[in-house]
Amino acid sequence: MTAAFKQTMTNALLLPQEANITLPGAGQAWLDKLRSTAAEQFIKSGLPTVRDEEWRYTDIRKLKRQQFSVQFNSPDVRAALNDLIDYDVTRIVLVNGLFSPTNSTDKVPAGVSIQSLAITLADDSLQGLLGSTLPSDRHAFIDLNTAYCFDGVVIKIADKAVLEKPIEIVHVTTGADNATVSHARNLIVAGKLSEAHIIERSISVGADNAYLNNTVTEVIAHDGAKLEHYKVQDDAEHAFHIGGVFINQSRDTSVINHNIAIGGSLVRNDIYSNLLGTGSHGGMNGLVLGKDSQHVHNHTEVAHRVPHCTSDEFYKTVLDDKSRAIFRGRIIVAQDAQQTDAEQRNDNLLLSSDAEADSKPQLEIYADDVICSHGATIGQLDPKSLFYFQSRGIKKEDARRLLTFAFVNEVVDRISFEPLRDELTQRFLGELLPDSIQEVFA
Amino acid sequence: MLEIKDLYAEVDGKPILKGLNMTVNPGEIHAIMGPNGSGKSTLSNVLAGRPGYEVTSGSVIYQGKDLLELEPEERAGEGIFLAFQYPVEIPGVSNMAMLKAAVNSIRKYRDEKEMPVGEFLKTIKEKAAFVEMDPEFLKRSVNDGFSGGEKKRNEILQMSMLQPTLALLDETDSGLDIDALKVVSKGVNALRSPDRSMVLITHYQRLLDYIVPDFVHVLSNGQIVKTGDKDLALKLEAEGYAWVDELESQAKEQGAA
Repeated sequence: MTAAFKQTMTNALLLPQEANITLPGAGQAWLDKLRSTAAEQFIKSGLPTVRDEEWRYTDIRKLKRQQFSVQFNSPDVRAALNDLIDYDVTRIVLVNGLFSPTNSTDKVPAGVSIQSLAITLADDSLQGLLGSTLPSDRHAFIDLNTAYCFDGVVIKIADKAVLEKPIEIVHVTTGADNATVSHARNLIVAGKLSEAHIIERSISVGADNAYLNNTVTEVIAHDGAKLEHYKVQDDAEHAFHIGGVFINQSRDTSVINHNIAIGGSLVRNDIYSNLLGTGSHGGMNGLVLGKDSQHVHNHTEVAHRVPHCTSDEFYKTVLDDKSRAIFRGRIIVAQDAQQTDAEQRNDNLLLSSDAEADSKPQLEIYADDVICSHGATIGQLDPKSLFYFQSRGIKKEDARRLLTFAFVNEVVDRISFEPLRDELTQRFLGELLPDSIQEVFA
Repeated sequence: MLEIKDLYAEVDGKPILKGLNMTVNPGEIHAIMGPNGSGKSTLSNVLAGRPGYEVTSGSVIYQGKDLLELEPEERAGEGIFLAFQYPVEIPGVSNMAMLKAAVNSIRKYRDEKEMPVGEFLKTIKEKAAFVEMDPEFLKRSVNDGFSGGEKKRNEILQMSMLQPTLALLDETDSGLDIDALKVVSKGVNALRSPDRSMVLITHYQRLLDYIVPDFVHVLSNGQIVKTGDKDLALKLEAEGYAWVDELESQAKEQGAA
């Protein structure tokens, strides 16, 4: 790339060439082309600004001011992981964006293959798969991720395999002397009639400096596959998180994405669900818990491309202090997608007068025989509910917390993998409820 | 137990109660009847402390305390319970959880120990069975998706768990079929005791066939215009509320005289 380009990007983020990084699988025509096309697109679009309609409410200047570098070490973080989670999963750990065998399980259940992206890229097995789910209106960070395509995890679930244990991908960022960036790229391919729960978490271990987690996960669900994909974003409070989850669904599939945004100072998620085969269901379940000056932008799209599909989107936001959340929810019903049943809800609860929520539902319906409903609310706790609890002897402050918890719990209740649901319930109980009320839910 | 003196209250700046007087002694059941808009629900909401109901003058003394000085949760702590005319649906909090929080909050207010979990579960199951409520409803979110009858039954269940000293039942009979009415009345009658008082607010006499009051008051235009025994309710049922207008003008004349 040119020096001029370097300058315009103010060194905020460098392409691999600029950073003098040799990428795995380089030299294969298909992969080189994928990367260079993405790099060109990245240069063409440039990093978004508030002048871009889809970033109007999300100012990334704070991110641009940072000098990020890519971190190539992946220390042993097992002790920290054991502290965090104590239920039975097939765990894969990416440390600073790199697949870490040391930290990951070596017991891979039957019917599934798990490999590092870097290793997989040595041959052409991902040709036609990698990048196949990305939308044309993607932003520059996603192209940057594709241009890097350095490491991550590739999960292939065999036809008819029903996984008892969830697969958990933990994105860990560790401490460094300066601000760091990682571009983990994951690919999940669910074979015909397979069933699995996949959890993606992002956490930090001793990462005191700013970091940018720029991750993309592609999900391809073949006929009849059933997937629950949980994204639990729990990055450090000073982190930047830009995440993409792009899902392609074939016939009779059900894929539900649960997007739980807790950490980070500036967060943007792009979640796209492409319903490409009839009889499919796409679910999007989202929760944002904002505090301090957190900024969380969820950008979702459910595209009904074929007839007889259903979708259900349910996003809730609780904002305290000066936090801000943006929800953009687009539903596209293509002309041929008759008998579509699409539902969308976005409810925002403001706990502070300095908090701000923006809700932007976008319905683009080109078919005529469809059921499509959407609703958005932004408000405070319902005074009727508050008084109801008070009249039962519950203190006003406790009633406020209880109702906030209830609001959050409606999203958590939709998590079908019970240990994760319990974990989040306990966590939000701890954060939202006073001790005196907590044990009520025990 | 409860002494209301010359109570004036307004909602959104509109005067509703206009000099209401009433005394309730321990163990008594008082029924308050009256046409729509007479101020029946306002009275119960004022007593429970609902925001937006502003007392402009008069006093309410409950067990020697100035009730109007207390927060709604303190009133509950002091033993007041309002069975809502329109119980609120609260998705995300189970009935069980709310009741546990309520029971223990009230105990805490009274400097009592929390109810042991086992005792709580045993009690709530017994009470649910008594009001013929499916135990599944205890796990469901508060009133969420309940039918009108189920919501009212749930109010009675809460009342029997909280064992109030003064129960205010705001149109608990409205929207109930005869079977639900019997169940609700059974729940209320079971709570009758020499040291517990109740104020039933109702539009219809029907409820009073099942819960026999000691006193019936007729409320009209923010004042009690007549007080009698249960036969007053029958007369009211037979002659309709047009008769109340006469009572009201009589009351006015008396006031003027």
